[in-house]
Amino acid sequence: MMEFEEIYAQYSPQIFRVCMGYINDYEQARDLTQETFISVWKNLASFRNQSKISTWIFRIATNNCLRALERSKRLKTTELPFNLVIPQEESQEEKLTFLYNCIAELEETERIIISLVLEDLPQAEIAAIVGLSNINTRVKIHRMKEKLAIKFKQHGQFE
Amino acid sequence: MDNLNDLKKVWLTADTSRLPDSNGIKQLIKKYRNTMLLKKTAVIIAALVLTGIMVSVVFNYHSTMVTTRIGEVCLIIAGVFLVVTNANFINRFYSYTDLNNKEFIEFLEQTRARQLRYYKKTQVAGLACASVGLLFYLYEGVCQDRLLIVISYALLVAYLLIMWLVVRPIAFRRQTKKLDATIKKLEELSKQF
Repeated sequence: MMEFEEIYAQYSPQIFRVCMGYINDYEQARDLTQETFISVWKNLASFRNQSKISTWIFRIATNNCLRALERSKRLKTTELPFNLVIPQEESQEEKLTFLYNCIAELEETERIIISLVLEDLPQAEIAAIVGLSNINTRVKIHRMKEKLAIKFKQHGQFE
Repeated sequence: MDNLNDLKKVWLTADTSRLPDSNGIKQLIKKYRNTMLLKKTAVIIAALVLTGIMVSVVFNYHSTMVTTRIGEVCLIIAGVFLVVTNANFINRFYSYTDLNNKEFIEFLEQTRARQLRYYKKTQVAGLACASVGLLFYLYEGVCQDRLLIVISYALLVAYLLIMWLVVRPIAFRRQTKKLDATIKKLEELSKQF
């Protein structure tokens, strides 16, 4: 069994990125990351290795994200100008903001799935986290990639 | 930018350096646990002490009036109700079930619906028990003096009326409005699975 410190060091950046992809707000994403690790700390002793520890932690994190809808704060969804062509020399930060804004336009479950895809989690693990069948997950991922590709093409990001 | 790998590269550039280190997170956990549990523990201890006092009164003070007995029973029930409700919260705080997102949304829908029932029925029953208990229990202490009866009951009834007709409806409206909105959002969310 891994120690809490080890788990935190290994997973906190990943969890933060997933929360950020979902909520598109730095402060809220940091709060959600902290809440996730509070839950991990509270329940680590009762974790029985029935699933992989990463699946367990990502489930806690994504469930926390879904619970965020109970708070009245609106998600940040910046309207993207239709004909905006982003210059090639844009900074990494601008590219990242653009990516977050594209993800923010997706439905809640899609935002979770694409964030997990971008974290390079296997499809079977994503299916186990979200609670969809493998086939359904694969179909959703394919559709989301298409949606994102259209957005990026519209904004001059694809060749 | 032409494929998913490029997106992954951008994705990984997110700044995670401002997250607390493992010592920082431990401090936060400690603070969170203390804040969450302190209030509930205080309510449980207060309710236990009051219920204990009421039980000892039942055994040590042998009342001749049935109204006092009814009042004592009602107040003990209300005290037990308060202890059980808050103990359930602490129990939920320490228990965790590993659920995927779909199961979690179903669980939240059930929990919020149960909470709504709690505000509509269970809480009313607890408050009614405490109110009836107070009304009955007071009588024996003041029944010797007519003026004392009038003043005591006028004050008590005024207090109960404010609680039932002003404080509770406002809190109830706020809680149910929030819960209704949450349940609606959860229903929309569960359609995505």
